[in-house]
Amino acid sequence: MEESSEASVSPFVVVSPVLRHQHEQCKCVKLHRERKRESERVGQDGVEGYRGRKRPPVGLTVTEMLPVDRLHLKHVLQTVGALEATVLRSFGPEGGQVLFTRDTGQAMLTRSGTRILKALRLESPLARMVVECVWKHSSSTGDGSKTFILLLASLLRMIHTKACKEPNVSHTYNSREAAEAATARRFADELLAFALEELEDLIAVGVAPYGFCVSWEDLSAKSHPPAAHSEPHCVQKLLASFFHTRLGHTHCDFISNLTCEVLRHWMFVNDLPSSALHFVNDNFPALHTAVSGFPMSCSRLIEGQVIHRDFSVPCPRTEDQPVRAVVFSGYLQPKILSAGDVLKVGCGGQVTDEKSFVEFSAWSERSLQCVIANLQRLGVSVLLSAVKQSAAVLALAAQAQMCVVECISKDELALFAKLSGATPVSECWTIESRNVSTLTFCRPILLGAHRYVHLAFQDLEKTLTVEPCSLVICGAGEGQTDQLLLAVLQCVRSVLRVDMVLHTHSALHAQSRRPTDVSSEGSEDEAED
Amino acid sequence: MSRLVKKSPSLCVDLPLDNTDVCNKLRLLRQLMTSCYGPTGKLKLVHNNIGGHVVTTSTSSVLLAAISSSQPLVNLIKTSVLNHVSRFSDCGLFAACLCLDLIEQAKQSGLRGNVCIGLNRHFLAVCVSYLQREDCCCKVKLDFCSSHNLIALARSVISSKPACLLTEQETLHISKLAVQAFLLTLPCDKPGTVSLGQTVTICVEGHSVLNSAVFPGLLVDVTGVLCVNKSDNLSSHRMLLFSASLAGDIPELGEGIIEVSSGVDTDARILDQLLDLGKQAVEDDVKLFVCQKVIHPVLQHYLRSRGVIVIERLGITLMEPLILLTGAHPVATLHTSLQPKAYGKVRDLSIRQFGSKTLLHLLAHGESAICTMVLCHRNETMLSELKLVCQKTEHVLRLTLREPYALFGGGCTETHLAAYVRHKCTDRVTESAAVLGCSESEYLLGMDRFCSSLESVAKSLEHNGGNSLIDLTHAHNWTVHADVMNRCVEGSLGFCGCGLVEGGSSKKWTYLNTKYAEFSPAALTTDSPVQPRVLDSFTAKLNALQVAVETANLALDVRYIIKDVLDLARF
Repeated sequence: MEESSEASVSPFVVVSPVLRHQHEQCKCVKLHRERKRESERVGQDGVEGYRGRKRPPVGLTVTEMLPVDRLHLKHVLQTVGALEATVLRSFGPEGGQVLFTRDTGQAMLTRSGTRILKALRLESPLARMVVECVWKHSSSTGDGSKTFILLLASLLRMIHTKACKEPNVSHTYNSREAAEAATARRFADELLAFALEELEDLIAVGVAPYGFCVSWEDLSAKSHPPAAHSEPHCVQKLLASFFHTRLGHTHCDFISNLTCEVLRHWMFVNDLPSSALHFVNDNFPALHTAVSGFPMSCSRLIEGQVIHRDFSVPCPRTEDQPVRAVVFSGYLQPKILSAGDVLKVGCGGQVTDEKSFVEFSAWSERSLQCVIANLQRLGVSVLLSAVKQSAAVLALAAQAQMCVVECISKDELALFAKLSGATPVSECWTIESRNVSTLTFCRPILLGAHRYVHLAFQDLEKTLTVEPCSLVICGAGEGQTDQLLLAVLQCVRSVLRVDMVLHTHSALHAQSRRPTDVSSEGSEDEAED
Repeated sequence: MSRLVKKSPSLCVDLPLDNTDVCNKLRLLRQLMTSCYGPTGKLKLVHNNIGGHVVTTSTSSVLLAAISSSQPLVNLIKTSVLNHVSRFSDCGLFAACLCLDLIEQAKQSGLRGNVCIGLNRHFLAVCVSYLQREDCCCKVKLDFCSSHNLIALARSVISSKPACLLTEQETLHISKLAVQAFLLTLPCDKPGTVSLGQTVTICVEGHSVLNSAVFPGLLVDVTGVLCVNKSDNLSSHRMLLFSASLAGDIPELGEGIIEVSSGVDTDARILDQLLDLGKQAVEDDVKLFVCQKVIHPVLQHYLRSRGVIVIERLGITLMEPLILLTGAHPVATLHTSLQPKAYGKVRDLSIRQFGSKTLLHLLAHGESAICTMVLCHRNETMLSELKLVCQKTEHVLRLTLREPYALFGGGCTETHLAAYVRHKCTDRVTESAAVLGCSESEYLLGMDRFCSSLESVAKSLEHNGGNSLIDLTHAHNWTVHADVMNRCVEGSLGFCGCGLVEGGSSKKWTYLNTKYAEFSPAALTTDSPVQPRVLDSFTAKLNALQVAVETANLALDVRYIIKDVLDLARF
C-alpha cells in the first residue's frame, strides 16, 4: 500500500494520525451513544446501505490487519467492517445464528451481539477498543450491541465516502490523504456537535411520543391466569420481541410464553410487581434445569423445587405423603479431632489409656445415633445436607427409613430455606421444630441423563404467596439449551433495566409519553428508554 | 515465557452452507451414516491414527463418538444425535440421516433460510400430531399379554446392529432373553407407583451365543473355593451387608493427629472390634456375609471356619441390586451391636459355572425385580457390541411402559408419513402458506423436500443395490432386488418392509422418490391375522424425528461460524 511506504518516510507523522484517529474513534463512539437515543432511522439507513453492498468475503479472518504504522480511516473502516460482518448475519428478526467453537471443542450458539464480540479473539488494538466500548454500552443498557457496531460502521463509511468525495484541498495539506483525514475529522466534529446540541430536541419530538410506558399493571394482571386466547399484553410483546433478537425465530413465542409463566409464578402478592424479576434474576441457577437430547418443545415448568443432586440414600416409597425435611449445613457425625489437635495413644494413662482409642469412635457413633433418634422423634424423613456425610450417617439413616441428599449447592439450599421458612441446622444437638419444614412430596425425578430430587412445599399460601416452579429447558444439545437459558436470563435483566429506568424517568416524562402499540422491532429501543 | 502460547486469531466462515468445503463434509457424514443404517448396514472399523483398540461397529453411539471433526457444524449435528441416543438408545442413525438429508434438500431447493425453517417446523408438527393420534395408521398398540410384539420390537433393535454378528436363530434367542429380562424387572405385586428393578449383565467370552441365559435373582462373581452346604434345608438364609470397610483401618476421628506410643498395638484393638462383629453375626445365624469393600483376612478366616459364606469387594454397582434383592440395610457402624432389621434374607444359594467364571446365585426371599443376564459370545469385540445392544434393547422396552405403542419398522413409517403429509397438506395450501408467510409454490416445494427426505431415509435401508418402492394403497415401503426386471416387479414382491402387507396384483407400486399423485394412505384392516415382523420404538422415533428436524433447522439457521484455532505449530 502506498500509504505505508509514505509513512515510513516521516517518523513524526507516524504517531499523530494514530492518536488522532483513535481520539476521533472515541468521539464517534460517544456520538453514537448520543445518537442511538434517536430513532432507528439513521441506523436503518446505514444498514440498508450496507445490505445493498456485496457480502463480505467468505473465510475472512477478522483480525487480519495490515502491518501499518499509520492508521488511516480506511483501516479503521476495515477493522470495524470486519466486526460488522460478524454481527451482521445475526442482526434483526430475520437474522440467523452464529456458531462459535472454542479450541476446547465447546460449542456456543448465539445471536447476542455482545456474546459474539466477546468471544472473538482480536489482535488489533483498535478492534479491541471498539469491543470494549460495545461492552460498556451493552452492560449499561442490556441490549443494542449489534446496532452499535452497525451504526458505527455506517457512520464511518459515510464519513469516509464524503471525505473522499470532497477533500478540502487547500495548501495547508501536503498530500491528498492528509486532506482527506482533515475533512473526515471535520465531519466527525460536526456530527458530534449535532449530537450534543440538537439531538436531544429531535428525540423529544421524533421519538419520545412514540415511546410507550410499560405499566406494571400488565405484569400484575398476570397473577390472574390469563384467558386462553386473550390478547397478549405489553410485557408479553416486549418479551417476544426481545426473544426475536436472541433466538431462532421458531422458538420465540414458545419461550416468551414460558418466561411469562415463570414470572407469573414467582409474583409475590404483597410486593412490588418487579419483585418477580428480581427474584428470578437472583435465583436463576437454582430455578432451572437444562436437559439435552429432547426437542425444545419439551421445555416446561414443573411445580416445586428441583435439587440438582441424587439421593445418597434412596427414598422409601411414601406414596406422595407429606414428609418432613431438615437442612444440615455441617456434618452429622461429630468430628472429634479438629485440625491441630493431637491425640496421644498409649503412654499409660497420661492423656488417654490404650482402650479409649476405639472408645472415641464408638462414642462418635453413639452420639450420631442420638441425633438420628432425635430426628425420628421429630418425624423427619428427609435429610438435606450441604456436605458429604460419613458412611455411618448414610447407613443409620437408611435403617431409620430416612432419605439423604448430600452436597447440595449453596444457591439451592438458600432457595429452599427461603421457600420453606425453616432454619438450616448447624449444630446437631439442638434440632427443634423450627428447623423442620413440611413438604408435600419429595421424590426422584429423571431429567435427561440425571436423577434429581423433586420436592414441593406445603402451606405456602399462608406464608409466601407464590407458586414455586422450576424451569426445565430442553434442547437437542448443550449449545441450544445454553442459548435458551441465557436468553431467558438476559430477557429478565433487560426488563429489570426498563423497570429501573422507568422508575427514575416516569416522574419527569409522564406528560410527554402517550401509550402506543409496541412494534416488534422496538425492543432494542425500549430497553434503553 | 517461552511456554506462553500466543493465541491465534479466530477463524471465521460466513454463510457456512454456501461453502463447498462444509457441504462436502456434511455429504461425507451423510454417506457414512446411511451406509450403516438398517439390518444390512455396512460395518465400520474404527481405529485411531496412533494404533490402539480397533472397534467394529455400525451403532451411531459408538461411531459418532469416535468421529472427530474440525468442522463445527458436523460437531453440532453429532452432539445432537449423541444426546438423543443417550436418552432413547434407538433411532440415532435415523435422526442423523434425516437431519443431514433435510439440510441437503433445503440447500438444493434454494428456499430462503427462514422460510425453509418455518416450513420444516410446520411439517414436523403435522407428522407429530398425526403420530400421536389414536387412529394413526402406522403404529400398533402393544399388548403386554402377549410377548409377540415385544419380541418383534426387541428383535428389530438387535437385528439393526449387524456388528453383533448374530445368526437368525441367535438373534431370536437374544430377543427372547431381552424380553424375559425386561419382564422379570417389572414388579407385579404392588399397586400404585412402581419402581422398576434392575438387570445385571455378566459377560462371558468364548462361548456360543446360544448359551446366554437370564436368571431371576443375582449372580455374583466369587473368587476362591466356596463350599455351599446344600444339606441346609432352611427356607431362607440370613445375610449381612456392610458398606464400610472391614479391613481394620484406623477409624476417622477428624483432621487432627494421632500419636501412638511404641508398644501399643492399635491393630489388635481394631481387629478385636471386628471379630466381635463377626461373633455376633455368627451368633445371629448369618449365612452370607457381604462387604462392599475389603474384609480383614483374619475376620474372613473366622467367618469361613464357622460355615459362613464371605463375599468381599462387591463394588458399588452391585450394592443397590443386592439391597433390593435381600432387603438388607447396609451397615457402616462398627461399634454398635447389629440391629435385627439390618439383616436381609436370601431364599437359595447355589453355585453356577460359566466358562472360567464361578458365580454365586442368590435368589430373593420374597418378590423382587432383580435379574441377571449372562451374555456369551465368541470374542471380545462382538461381546461388547452385544452387551451394548442388550442394554439398548432393555431401555427401548422400558420406554414402552410410558407409551405402549410401536411404529412399523422397515421404512414403512417413513413412507407412510411422507404420503400422509403430501395428502394432508395439499388440501390446504393457500391457508397454510398465508399463515407461514410464504408463497404457495414455496410451500409446495418445501413439502416436497420434506417428504423426499423422509423417503430417502427409507430408501437408505437398502444397501445391496436393490430398488425401493412404495405401494399406492397403504404407502408402505418395499424393496426388490436389483436384477428384477421392471415388468416382473409386481410378481417378485413378497411382503413390505414391516411384514404387514402382502404383495398382490390388486396393488400399484411406484419407485420411491419419483413423483406420484397424492393419495390418502389407507389403514389396514384390524382383523388381519398377520402380525408385523419389524417394529420400531414409538417414543424413540418420535423424539428422533423432532430432534432431527430441529437440528436441521438450527444448522440452516447458522449464518456465521467463528472458530478458535489452536496454534499447534507452537507446541
